[in-house]
Amino acid sequence: MILLFKRVHQFALSIIILALFTLHLPPVQGQTLGFDEERIRRATVFVMQVDVVTNTPIVTCAASGTIVSRTGLIMTNAHATMVGEDCSGNDLVIAISRNNEEPPVPTFRARILQANIGLDIALLQVDRQVDGRLIDQSALSLPFVELSDSDNLRLDDTMTIAGFPDLGDSPVQISRGTITAFGAEPVGGNRSWIKTNTRIEGLMTGGGAYDQNGRLIGIPTTAPVIGVSPQTRCLSLQDSNRDGVINGSDRCVPIGGAINALRPSNFARPLLRAATIGLSIDLLTGQRVEISTTGDPAFSRLFFSPTVNEAGMPSSVVRNLPSGTESVYLFFNYANMTPETVYELRVSNDGVENLTFGLSSVRWSGGVNGLWYVGSSGQTWSNGVYDFTLLINGIVADSARLLIGSTAETQPLFSDIAFGIENASGGVVGNGFVLPTGSIASARFIYRNMIPSLRWAAIWYYEGVEALRETLDWTDSESGTKTIRIQDPAGLLPGSYRLELYLDTGQGFRLAATSDFTLAGAQVGDFARIFEDTHFTIADTSAEAASSPPLTTFSAGAEILYSVFDWNQIRPGTLFTMRWLVDNEPFYEQTLPWSANQNGQNFVVQLLAPNGILDGTYTMQLSINRIVFAQAQARVGIGQLPIDRFAQATGIQMRGQIFDARTGDGIPGATVVVISELYNVAEFTELWTAQQVFAQATTDRAGVFIIERLLQPDALYSIYIVAEGYLPISADGLEVAADSPPLEIPITMTPG
Amino acid sequence: MTIIEVQSAAATITQRQRWGHYFALIYAVLVIIIGINLRDSAVNSVTAYSNSQAGIRALYPQRWLIDTEGDYVFRVRNLASAGYKTTIQVAIEPVAATTSIRNLVDSLTLIRSQQFAEYKPLSRQSVLLAADREALQVEYAYVTSGDNVFLETLPIVVEGIDVIVIQRGQAVIISFLSDADTFEENLPIFERFLDDLTF
Repeated sequence: MILLFKRVHQFALSIIILALFTLHLPPVQGQTLGFDEERIRRATVFVMQVDVVTNTPIVTCAASGTIVSRTGLIMTNAHATMVGEDCSGNDLVIAISRNNEEPPVPTFRARILQANIGLDIALLQVDRQVDGRLIDQSALSLPFVELSDSDNLRLDDTMTIAGFPDLGDSPVQISRGTITAFGAEPVGGNRSWIKTNTRIEGLMTGGGAYDQNGRLIGIPTTAPVIGVSPQTRCLSLQDSNRDGVINGSDRCVPIGGAINALRPSNFARPLLRAATIGLSIDLLTGQRVEISTTGDPAFSRLFFSPTVNEAGMPSSVVRNLPSGTESVYLFFNYANMTPETVYELRVSNDGVENLTFGLSSVRWSGGVNGLWYVGSSGQTWSNGVYDFTLLINGIVADSARLLIGSTAETQPLFSDIAFGIENASGGVVGNGFVLPTGSIASARFIYRNMIPSLRWAAIWYYEGVEALRETLDWTDSESGTKTIRIQDPAGLLPGSYRLELYLDTGQGFRLAATSDFTLAGAQVGDFARIFEDTHFTIADTSAEAASSPPLTTFSAGAEILYSVFDWNQIRPGTLFTMRWLVDNEPFYEQTLPWSANQNGQNFVVQLLAPNGILDGTYTMQLSINRIVFAQAQARVGIGQLPIDRFAQATGIQMRGQIFDARTGDGIPGATVVVISELYNVAEFTELWTAQQVFAQATTDRAGVFIIERLLQPDALYSIYIVAEGYLPISADGLEVAADSPPLEIPITMTPG
Repeated sequence: MTIIEVQSAAATITQRQRWGHYFALIYAVLVIIIGINLRDSAVNSVTAYSNSQAGIRALYPQRWLIDTEGDYVFRVRNLASAGYKTTIQVAIEPVAATTSIRNLVDSLTLIRSQQFAEYKPLSRQSVLLAADREALQVEYAYVTSGDNVFLETLPIVVEGIDVIVIQRGQAVIISFLSDADTFEENLPIFERFLDDLTF
């Protein structure tokens, strides 16, 4: 009789669980479908860089971070984690939020796996417990978030920002706002920054901003400047000098000012992809150029342009723009900059600070010297007088003024400079901004509203030094295109050139248009051949790679592949970009100054994966001024990356508590098995193999369990719960709805 | 005064009643024996595993979850265990011709002391396995507190045994891990596993 009662009881419990699963609960109010705030809170971590001195960790820098893989990859800022002048620590401590109401708890230690200092993005790998014990990463199952495609974002999209607002004293702060603008820079075009009106505290830098589906769209980013800017602070937390008091002489943790800019998640995607498949790239030929500067960082020659061309050059130079202007770019020369330099743009409209178009303090992401721009497009600028002020390390460097609201331009103007080689019919041909070496380089530009005999000037520069100056009277028509040239019978030297066009306004010459171009490579037809014989190979050493035969297919499991190429006429210091892709998705991109000789053979690049290069199609591209000049492709194994069945971070989380039916107490140590949709309980209890298990969890001291792997909608799962001394519970055909919030299931087990 | 004398008559039962008692006792004993047998067969019932590539055949307890996806040949766990899930694992490691069992044990000790909290080697002794095969048995203990950092799982003391054999240029490491509270209770399961293991 008792046995019969127990069986009926067990059956009833199974029905209750089944009902709980299949119940299509409405989403929590204020949240959007698929948005799991609990998961985002848990995936948000507090990152502390520490300096371990005589066994005592002293916090040197701090930031927020976000877990982006179940095996413990963490996305955060580079400035707070990499060793630098302000952050001199030698270890990283990761604190996690175990409870929504409590500050984070130091739980792990981590190391830097990938980083881009200029973009201020670092990818960390959890590798030790906080006490220093090693962690088996494959056994980790941390809550994580997926990256969204930030190119799909639009103005006024809603976003949720998560991070720790102070030095670990508060729980995760969640705030909501909208996208107010997109910021432009050469490093990423018009989507280099996402701007928001939400107030983001300085220490939330490195945290996450999420779309309505709970996917990571951006990383709040600011770089603190210590002791100069009034918006930045530095807090001393510990008695680092052991003098018995904590005061200004102790080491302090820099805290940045309010953040208004987020680095889009697409910038982090290549780092994450490289880390996930365990790849690294090493340039073996040429000495890496150490960044050295000869003076203080400086900005100069500020001017505005309404548009930017495909090479990142201004279309024209303007001082005012008509009403309804939707894009403005501030161009300026930079000198002596380093990746650790912090710069900021403050914009005011008729004397009132405009946060939408300004840029909070961020790391410099360009080179040492060159031409840069900051701007925005796609939203209307209201009429008024705009003052743009650039700061370097918290100190004003230069400023410029722009009037918006004028009538359409009717003054003489030059625009749209493009460079090339003149063909027999007098046309300028080529790719526009990279020319082969020769004795003549031509520039074609558009002119409008020109007046006969108007004085104008063209000045050519080579590597920053004036090479040719012509001042002439205008003799052409009112509007059209004109071609001018620079020539040297002995041959123009390879390197970076600039053309500046000036117009006489009656009050002196003013800059009307400007553009840079690069001379490199040998001439083949109308184009430059800079890189040759680009191929993949395999060898025991890098020296042997130079003479090994080219290959296009490789067997799976190789640890090292080499890419080899020859080069022509590249002036050392010329910026070139190396880009690597796997299955057409980039995982490495670096723009570097050329550091080998001007001509040479067998430049060797190493693709390294200590755990074996995964199957896939690998491509290496070489480009200058965004124009691809060479590419090599190779297939490893079957030529396609394997699918990571744990990579998905979207789905419905199941958690709950298991109680004793007699006492009502939680049952510790009970095992909850979620069986894959391919099997049912009967099949599982017959075979008992791990391949049948979708996920499993064990209850803690209070009987609480969390199934870390997310349940997918439209899949039928089975569940089996077992604990010593209790009758097992099982149920088949469990389904969750796509719009279901996280499942919280109370389960009662009967002693038996 | 009246004296009442009470006399008890000798208890006498019929032959039928006597046999009835005997049969009841016999039935009870039989039921107990059958129950014990059923329990033993349930507890001691096994499932066969074989891996021709590794040259291993084993019988492991029924209803234990088998996993062959990790860096081991196979691992079986009793999901019903309270506390630490009792585990038996067989792994194969390549070794050099000059590697001794002692070298291997030292290497395991170094690795585990980096991975496990309070890792403590307890004893080392030579043992004879089936077919008089010599092996080294290492006992150790450590503390674990579950993988999920968001749960309040209390630390558990785990007691373990490694039985290590070097043969044909590789080391076979047979491990047994159990909650220290139930280690002695579970040990016979491992001993039966070792007796049935061929490699």
